[in-house]
Amino acid sequence: MKKQYAAFAFIAMVGVALYGFLPSENTAMDELAIGAQAPMVDHEVEDVSGEMLTLQKVAKENGLLVNFSCNTCPWVSRWEDRYNPIAELAEEHGIGVIALNPNTAIRDDGESLEDMKARAEKSNYQFPYALDEGSKLATAFGATRTPHIYLFNKDMELVYRGAIDDNAASAEGVEQPYLKNAIKALAAGNEINPQSTKSLGCTIKWPE
Amino acid sequence: MIISNKRLEIGLFATVMILLMAFVPIDLTHQKESPASDPLLKNVTGSELQEIVDSYQGKKAVLINVWATWCAPCVEEFPEIVKLQRAYPEKLQVIFISGDFPDARARALAFLKKQEVDWTTYFKTGDDQEFIESVSPNWTGALPFSKVIGIDGEVVASWEQSATYTKFERHVKTAINQ
Repeated sequence: MKKQYAAFAFIAMVGVALYGFLPSENTAMDELAIGAQAPMVDHEVEDVSGEMLTLQKVAKENGLLVNFSCNTCPWVSRWEDRYNPIAELAEEHGIGVIALNPNTAIRDDGESLEDMKARAEKSNYQFPYALDEGSKLATAFGATRTPHIYLFNKDMELVYRGAIDDNAASAEGVEQPYLKNAIKALAAGNEINPQSTKSLGCTIKWPE
Repeated sequence: MIISNKRLEIGLFATVMILLMAFVPIDLTHQKESPASDPLLKNVTGSELQEIVDSYQGKKAVLINVWATWCAPCVEEFPEIVKLQRAYPEKLQVIFISGDFPDARARALAFLKKQEVDWTTYFKTGDDQEFIESVSPNWTGALPFSKVIGIDGEVVASWEQSATYTKFERHVKTAINQ
């Protein structure tokens, strides 16, 4: 009987060990889940104005909009004409806005704070644009690309994440203004649908 | 005098013809193949891509790579993937999909030619969300994206960010042996 138990235990152990080698699709990136609390809200980041900010400081009575953005991604360039109108809409609805630059690996190649200052000035950003040093916030959020949107409610719970809308190439061609709809629904206390969307974008250039 | 008039008529006729030729519309597509019709870069939707991938089941392992001309890490790893296709011509099918904007199609085509790609590749069309989900539910949309599928149709691995030849080959070898 003992031999049987031993054999069973051995087979079970081998099974468990082999399970780890089973070929399977890699798990999805650990993106912040809908309903999750905003992480690192007291972590200080330097804005292009020179001011030190935290997510908590930027948030307003109805919530916070975080946009992981950068200077060198063509997708950002295409969507950028919607940055200020969306920031304005968010502010009107009592939602604070901040863009964060997580591209640590290419700070010397167009993504420095100086480059960010130039970009904010050139594009007349009407919202803070801060350096995510060491991509720490992007890591905590599970962000993967630029632009990548995260919208939080007044309790700093994630209510929407993903794309700005369904047409990077043309603001006029947008059929689904996901983020605008989410902002309006959040402020009105309505259900946000969809809560999560995907779009093509540039990978975040993580620290090497 | 009669000869002079004839010469004048011929001269006038030739002048008019030359002037008219300037207004004849020249169809450039006949002189140079339109990028949209090039067999090297065909339009593809998410559902069409699934059919293409399925057609290799039981025959070849598949490596899907979504890239774009503006994506530096994509451009960097691209030659490694071409090299991999050349190394395993019988057992692997590389499916390149360009995620470029429509106005950069010609640029994508020029890049493929420069890389000496000589098999059909694809150009993403349609909605991002639908396309991304059809390629992989685990893909968030960041480029580059790669997915390796075994001969049996099972997914071996998928990842965002670029990779080395060694990483690609390791997964491809697993896929070929499935």
